[in-house]
Amino acid sequence: MRIIFHECKKAFTSPILVVLILLFMAYNMFLIFSNSYFKEELKVVNELAETYGVKMTDESLHQFQQDLQKDFAKLNEITRKHTAQEFSSIDEFLNTLRYEDRDLYTEKEWAFFTQYQLKEMYFNLAKSIDSEYDRMDWKRMAKSEIEMYGLSGSAAKILQNEYDKFSQRFEEMKENREHKTWFFAGKPYKVHSFLFRTVFGHLIFEALILIVLATALITNYEFENRTNLVTYSTKRGRRLMKDKLAASLLMATAITAFLFVITLGTYFSVFDYSYLWESSISSALNWEYNLPYVSWWNLSFLAFLLLSILLVYMCMILFSAITFVISIFVKNSYFTFFLFTAFFAMAYMMNGFMPQSSMLIFIAGFNLSLLVMNPHMFFMGSGGLMMFKFYEMITVGVWMMIVSVLCIFSFKKFNKQEIY
Amino acid sequence: MIIIKDVSKQYGSFSVLNNINLEFINGVYGLLAPNGAGKTTLIKMLATLISPSKGEILYCGENILDMDEGYRTLLGYLPQQFGYYKNYSPKQYLLYLAALKGIGKKEAVNIITELLDKVALSDVMNKKMKKFSGGMIQRVGIAQALLNDPKILILDEPTAGLDPKERARFRHLLSELARDRLVIISTHIVSDIESIANEVIMIKNQQILYKDSVEKICASLEGQVYEASIRYEQLDEFRTRYVVLSEKQERGNMRVRFIHKEKPETEWQPVTPHLEDVFLYEYRDEIEVEV
Amino acid sequence: MQILLHEIKKIFSWKILLLLLFVNGILSFLLIEFDIKYFPNGRPALDSYRIGVEMIEKYGTHMDEDDFADFKKTYEVQLEEANHYLQTRKEFVDAGMGTYEDFRNYDRNNKEQDVLYDKVMFKEPVDMLWELEERSRLIENYKSKEISLEHYMKDANAKQKLRFNELIEAGHYPVYPEVAFANFKSFIYHVAITIIFSVVLVLLPIFIQDRSRRLLDLQYTAKKGRNLYKTKVAAGLISTFIVITTLLITYFGFYSLNHTSMFFSVPIHMFGGDFYWYDPTFFQYIVLTVVAIYILGFVFALLAMSFSSIMSNTIALIGIQIPFVIIMIKYGVFYMMRHIISIWVPKWVVPTSYSVMLVVSVVFIVLLWKREKKRDIVL
Repeated sequence: MRIIFHECKKAFTSPILVVLILLFMAYNMFLIFSNSYFKEELKVVNELAETYGVKMTDESLHQFQQDLQKDFAKLNEITRKHTAQEFSSIDEFLNTLRYEDRDLYTEKEWAFFTQYQLKEMYFNLAKSIDSEYDRMDWKRMAKSEIEMYGLSGSAAKILQNEYDKFSQRFEEMKENREHKTWFFAGKPYKVHSFLFRTVFGHLIFEALILIVLATALITNYEFENRTNLVTYSTKRGRRLMKDKLAASLLMATAITAFLFVITLGTYFSVFDYSYLWESSISSALNWEYNLPYVSWWNLSFLAFLLLSILLVYMCMILFSAITFVISIFVKNSYFTFFLFTAFFAMAYMMNGFMPQSSMLIFIAGFNLSLLVMNPHMFFMGSGGLMMFKFYEMITVGVWMMIVSVLCIFSFKKFNKQEIY
Repeated sequence: MIIIKDVSKQYGSFSVLNNINLEFINGVYGLLAPNGAGKTTLIKMLATLISPSKGEILYCGENILDMDEGYRTLLGYLPQQFGYYKNYSPKQYLLYLAALKGIGKKEAVNIITELLDKVALSDVMNKKMKKFSGGMIQRVGIAQALLNDPKILILDEPTAGLDPKERARFRHLLSELARDRLVIISTHIVSDIESIANEVIMIKNQQILYKDSVEKICASLEGQVYEASIRYEQLDEFRTRYVVLSEKQERGNMRVRFIHKEKPETEWQPVTPHLEDVFLYEYRDEIEVEV
Repeated sequence: MQILLHEIKKIFSWKILLLLLFVNGILSFLLIEFDIKYFPNGRPALDSYRIGVEMIEKYGTHMDEDDFADFKKTYEVQLEEANHYLQTRKEFVDAGMGTYEDFRNYDRNNKEQDVLYDKVMFKEPVDMLWELEERSRLIENYKSKEISLEHYMKDANAKQKLRFNELIEAGHYPVYPEVAFANFKSFIYHVAITIIFSVVLVLLPIFIQDRSRRLLDLQYTAKKGRNLYKTKVAAGLISTFIVITTLLITYFGFYSLNHTSMFFSVPIHMFGGDFYWYDPTFFQYIVLTVVAIYILGFVFALLAMSFSSIMSNTIALIGIQIPFVIIMIKYGVFYMMRHIISIWVPKWVVPTSYSVMLVVSVVFIVLLWKREKKRDIVL
C-alpha cells in the first residue's frame, strides 16, 4: 500500500498536472457561467414541478390550465390599467408591444409577463405531447438512418430489428406515462445537450488528457529517471509494475472524481434542478432536435446522471489501463502519449472503414472512443447507429476483458524483459 | 598554462569551493579527494560547464569563458557520466562529436579509426552502442575526449568501469599523451595516478590542501607511518589510540599500518609513506563518517 | 553545416517519422478527407460547382449586366427544356406537374406528387432540374445583390460600413457560386490544424532529448560549445520548413482532386458567404493562407523548442503544450485562418495577432539562448 502511495505521489506532485487540472477546472466553471444567461427562466419549470408534481396527470394539467386562466385575467388587468387595451393571449400582447411602450410596465409586471409566457409555453408543450408522440414512426426512422449511413444487407437488417425493439419500448413508455414529466423545454434551452454533451464532453476530454499523462508519468517514471536498474532489482522487483497500475487507476479515479465534483458542483449550483431530480430523462419535454431523448430504460434524471458518471468513470479507468499497456511496450512518455491519441482517434473512426453491408460496422462501433464521444446519447435508443439496448454495457464489458488480457500479457512480457 | 585565481563556487548559501588558487603547466595532474569534496565542480568549471561565483580561470592569461571557442578547441573532456545515443554506433557517435568539435568529416573518419584502434574498439566500430558494456562505453568516452588532439585533457573518473587490463592500457596511453599537454585526472582511486601524476592536488574543506609531487606529499608523513603485528584482542584499543590506515590478517595476528607522530615503540616497523596513506590520513574523518 | 545536418537527422529519427506519418494518416481521415472526398458535397453543391465553372468560362472573373442577361437566357432555355421534359413524361402530366412551375411548387402532402418529385430529384436524379433550381437561386441572388449588402451593412460598425461602401462603389457583389471557395476555406483550416499538430510533434523532443541523456557535458565542451543551441534552433526551423512544405505539397496534391483551378483567377469578393477587407483573387488568397500556415508553423516550432529547453520531463513538456495547442486550434486558427481577412473580424486583429505571436515566440527563444549561454550545467 505504501508503495502505491509513493507511485501516486509521483503524479500528484507533478506541477504540470496540478496546473492543468486547475486550468481545466477554471475553464469548466467559465464554460458553465458563460452559458448560464437563461438560468432564471429555468426556475419556472421547477415551480411547475413543485406546484403540480413532477408527473403530469390529467388533473394536474387541468389545474395548471385553470391557473393559467387566472394569469390571463391578471395580464389583461395590467394592460387595461396602462393602455386600456385587452389581448387574447400573452403572445399577442408581446408581439404587438411597441418598443417605446416597454417602460409603461413596472419591473414586477415584466417579471410576471415572462413568467406567464413561459408557463403558457410549457402548457402548450405538455398538451401537444400525445399528438407529437403518436406521429413518431420508428420504422421510418430506422429506414432513414439506414439510408443515411448507407447500410445494406445484414447490417440494415440488424438495425431495423433493433429499431423494432425500440419501437416496442416506446409504446410501453407511452402506456406507463414515463415521458409525461416536467423537464426543461428542450428546444429553447437545450439543457440536456449542454450538460451531457458540452459539459460532460469537455470533462471527458480533460480527464482523458490528465489520466493519460498521469499514467504515462507513473509507468515510465523509472525508465525516464534512470532509476530502473535500482527499482526493478529490489525485493518488490518487477511486481512494482502492478503497483504502478494500481496507482494509475487510483489517480484516474481521483482525477475523474475531482473534475466531476468541481464541475458538476458548479453546474448544479448555477442551474436549478431542485424539483426535477425525479423527473424522467425520457421526458417528452427533453426534445431538442428532430427526435426526443428516449432512453431504453425507465430512468429518472438523477439515475441517468449517476449512471452516466459511473459509465464515464469506467471508461476512464479503462483508458488509464490502455495507456499503461502502451507504456510498458514503448517505455517512453512521449510516444506513449501520441500513440494513445492515435489509438483513441483510430478507434473513433473505425466503423467508418467497415463495409456497410456487414455487421462489422456495428462490431467496430463497440469501442470506448465512440462511446465517450457521445455522452448525451448514453442509454438512449432514439437515433444513431449505435443505439443498441446494451451498447454501453457491452462496450465497457468487452473492453474490460480486452484490457485485462492486455494487462496480464504486458505483465508477463515485462517480467521477461531485459532491463538495461 | 592554466591559472585558477581566487575561485569560489556557491549554490545559494552552500559553499562548494572557497578561494581556490592553482596553476597548471604541461604534465599529468591528479585531483584527489573523496566524493563530494568539490572535485567535479572544479572540473566542470575547467570545462566551462559551470561558471565560478567568484574569481576567474585563465588560460595563458586569458579568461577561459571569454576565450569561448578558442578555449574549447584545446579541450578534451570526459565527464563522470556522459550521454550517448543507444541506436548509434561508436563511429556515428564520434562523427557527430567530431562535427561539434569542428573536425572535418574526412579527417574525422581517419582519426576515429585510429582512436578506436587505440582503445581497442575497432571490431565493434559499427555496432550499436545499445548493448555495450560499461567498460566499452567508457572507452568510447576516452576516444571522444581525444578526438580533437586536445592540449588540455580533463578526465573525470576515467577508469570507472575499466578492468585491470584496460586500466593498464589506459595508464600507458595517458603517459604517452602527457608528454606535450596538460592532463587533469580527477579520481578517488589513488593507484590510478600514483605512478604517473607529476603533481597531485588534494582538496579539503573547500580549499586546496596539497598541490605537489607525489614524493613531496608523501614526505609530509615521512617517519610517521609504521606497521606492526598485534593480536586481535588489541585491535579495538589500538584503533582508539592511533590513526589506523589499513589492517590485514597475517598468520593469526593482525598487521596494521598506522600513523604515529611521537616516539615509536621498538617492535614497530617504520615504512615509507604512500600517497594512499596521506589520503587516508587527511580524510580520516570524512571516511569514517562514510563508513 | 555538418553539425546542422547531424541535428536535423536527429530530429527526423525514424520513430518520429513513423509517428508523424501515423498521426497525419489519422488527422487526414479525421479532418481533411471530407473536404476532398465530398466535394462538391451532394446536391445542389454539385450543380452549383458546374454552373460556376460554366460562368467563369463564359463571363470571366467579373459579371456585368450583359453577362447576367446571357445567364438569364441560358436559364430560360433550360427552363423550356425542363418543361418539354416534364411534358413528355406522362406520369408528371397526370399528377399535375406538367410544367416546371407546377413541378417546383409541388404539394408536399400530395402523395403522388411527392413520390414523383422524389424520383426525379433524388432517385434518378435529373441534373437539369437541379441546375434550374440553382440557376434561379443565382438569378435571385444577383437581382437582390444591393439589398442583401445593405442588409449586412445594418449591423456593421463604421469601418465595416466604409468597406461595404467601397465594395458597392466598385460594384463588387458576391454573385458567383461559393462552393469552391467555401470548400477551400474549410480545407485549409483543417490543413492548418494538422500542420500545427505535426510541427509540435516533431519538435518537442529537440532539446529535452539530449539533456535527459546527459549529452550536454560533451556537447558544450566541444569547440562548438553552447552555440550548439543556436544550431539546434536553426535545425528545428529547417525541419519545420521541411515538415510544413512536405505536408502542404501532399495535401494540396489531394486538393487538386477537387478540380477548382478554374476558380483561382476570380477575386474572392465574387463568391458569396462572406465579405473581406481586401480583394485578392482566389489564388492570392491561397498564397496568403499558405504564408499564414508557415508563420503559424514557425511560431509553434519556436514555442515547442522553447518549452523543450526548459521543461524538466516529457510529461511536463507535453502538458504545458496542451493548453496552447488547444486554445490555438479552438480559437486561434479559427480567426487566424478561417477569418483571416473576413470583415467580421476587425481589420487589425489578425495581422496584429500574427505579429505578436511571432515576436513573442522569437523573444522567448532569444531569452532562452541568453540563459543557456550562462547556465551552469550541473546535472
